[in-house]
Amino acid sequence: MKLESIKEVRKHNITVGFLHETLKNRIKLEVLTSVGFENLIRDKNIHRPGLALAGYVALFTYDRLQVCGNTEMRYLKSMPLEERIRAFSTLFKFDIPAIIVTNDNIIDPELVQIAADHNVPVMRTPLETTKAVYFLSDFLDDQFSPQVSIHGSFVDVYGIGVLFIGRSGIGKSEITLDLIERGHRLVSDDVVTITRKGEGILIGAGTDLVKHFMEIRGLGIIDVPSIFGVRAIRFQKRVEVVVELMEWDSKGDFTRTGLDQQTLKILDVDIPHIKLPIFPGKNITVIAEVIALDYLLRHYGYDSAKEFSHKLENVIAQKSKKNAKRAIDYFEHDFE
Amino acid sequence: MIEKEIVIKNRAGLHTRPAAALVKVAAQFKSDFYIIKDDLEINGKSIIGVMTLAAEQGSSLKLRFDGEDEQAMAEAILGLFERGFDEA
Repeated sequence: MKLESIKEVRKHNITVGFLHETLKNRIKLEVLTSVGFENLIRDKNIHRPGLALAGYVALFTYDRLQVCGNTEMRYLKSMPLEERIRAFSTLFKFDIPAIIVTNDNIIDPELVQIAADHNVPVMRTPLETTKAVYFLSDFLDDQFSPQVSIHGSFVDVYGIGVLFIGRSGIGKSEITLDLIERGHRLVSDDVVTITRKGEGILIGAGTDLVKHFMEIRGLGIIDVPSIFGVRAIRFQKRVEVVVELMEWDSKGDFTRTGLDQQTLKILDVDIPHIKLPIFPGKNITVIAEVIALDYLLRHYGYDSAKEFSHKLENVIAQKSKKNAKRAIDYFEHDFE
Repeated sequence: MIEKEIVIKNRAGLHTRPAAALVKVAAQFKSDFYIIKDDLEINGKSIIGVMTLAAEQGSSLKLRFDGEDEQAMAEAILGLFERGFDEA
């Protein structure tokens, strides 16, 4: 599995129509002019055009989504209508994608008409500016974040996102099925799209077509939620551990202590990477569960390998010449 | 590594049956096989992956073969596309 060969993609623009369609219910977007829904947003940042309204247009980031909050609207209201129209018109000397008015501020029909004439949609939300900005930024950040699609199976095991990779036919889907049967939840099999959210967080999901279908060799395509029910699936999960399944090879570089954690870079984020040799009779499902639980333990500050190593160092430091002792000094009359 | 661009010829596109035929042929070879359509890159040995492409007639795909038997694999796979998966 050569992860470095995988192509990173990112969206370069989204239409205002798409933003409206996705967010209309969440932030209760009301459309004041329905023109210009095909306008493109190319930047994940948003802009408050206060200074532009006041006439200062140097450094005006006009290509961003423009959000007019209380400041902008009160400033406009402080002027007589004629001046207000002149100030508002300043914005349309630039090619702005859309205007969103927050806090249910009232905007004059004359101003809406100017926007419509310039093919700029105006929408309004009842949310306060900070809340609206939070939602809009989160949405735009998600839309413009880098993505990769990875050939692997992605399962939520005890709440830990475990991504299985390995060559085709090595048994990723079979382990996934086994985990689902044991009550864990499938995110996606075969094609996993991974998106970087914020700094250092990877979120994995399936594709819209495949979602929770999977292929089992010799059986064909199965639909997981239909067979196992809704408890067996989830739509997205943070990627926390990568488990690479490999054929056993006596020269293979497999860790024996777990003291040195290897990592794998996906979208420039380091993710713990466990190389797991497989051979007949080895129960990978149980090992996968232990990997998840061990990750949890480490997360809570307990590292099994380090603890054992400390114990060993202490015994060595005592310079005891004795052989390895029985764990119990004296088996009192307990013959169980 | 061999890279080839091809266009889907059969009318119904790369639907379930051709996808199955494709992964069956691919599985006979050791080399890695990737299919790239627009922004999506998938493993050509995975049927779910191939079907994810939802490639319609006339769409163009980039095929990448990488490994010891890449030459033989490329010939077998390209032949399959060339014949339109033996469909109308």
